[in-house]
Amino acid sequence: MIEKNGHYNLFQKKIVPYLDGSLSKEETSEFEAFVLTHPEFEIQIKNKQDEIQKLKDMIPAAMLSEESQESIETEMRASIYNLIKEEPRGLFDTIRIKWEDWLNR
Amino acid sequence: MKRKDFFQLIQPLTEKLYRFAYTLIPDDLQAEQLVIDGLNAYLLKEKKTISKKEIDLNSKKETQLIRRMIFKGILRYISEIGARRSLQLNEQMRLNIPKDFAPYYSLEPKVRLVMSLRYDSQFTVEEIEEIVQMPRFEVIEKLHNGRFLLLNDLNKVATL
Repeated sequence: MIEKNGHYNLFQKKIVPYLDGSLSKEETSEFEAFVLTHPEFEIQIKNKQDEIQKLKDMIPAAMLSEESQESIETEMRASIYNLIKEEPRGLFDTIRIKWEDWLNR
Repeated sequence: MKRKDFFQLIQPLTEKLYRFAYTLIPDDLQAEQLVIDGLNAYLLKEKKTISKKEIDLNSKKETQLIRRMIFKGILRYISEIGARRSLQLNEQMRLNIPKDFAPYYSLEPKVRLVMSLRYDSQFTVEEIEEIVQMPRFEVIEKLHNGRFLLLNDLNKVATL
């Protein structure tokens, strides 16, 4: 019984790291094998998952308005065209690059 | 890589980048600016690599792989700049904090960014280590602290 409790406690402490993905590969396999042989343990995992869902709900999930999305993408495009230089491959490519540079001035 | 291809690669990430920036600074304009500054810092560091990189946008797998790599790269700079800026703007932002998210914004910026990367953006601990440039033990410690403080707050509300 003591051994069972010790084992239980050990794996109980590993639920959150398991859900967080911070266990090593060996520990993850060991944990999953333990859960397979102890189906009642799944309830505890479910409880932790619910707890994590509550945490997720406490983190803001901001969304961009259509107008803000357009404005931020315009700025992103300008940054890319200003900071990345393309090597032209022939005359037409040179004209295309110059044209794009002019459009994004 | 052509500039238009690079833009095409990162365009679908705009919303996610903004959402992450907002978890650091709860102000629309400041969050937008943080995304732009993070992108600029990334481009300045990686512009040569990007120029030389060849990509086949018809290959879905390759596109997804490179897009994720770029996403993590930009997040790295947003994290770095955002954590500093969040401290500087702390007083100014106090009034902007949405009431429902006050407990989250009461966490220190580095704890906030690790929590957001793990629970909102769904990155693994290894990926977070890479993005925030922190040793693993520090990432795990911050996750633990954040979880403890938020759940504590939740329990306090429940007992009221």
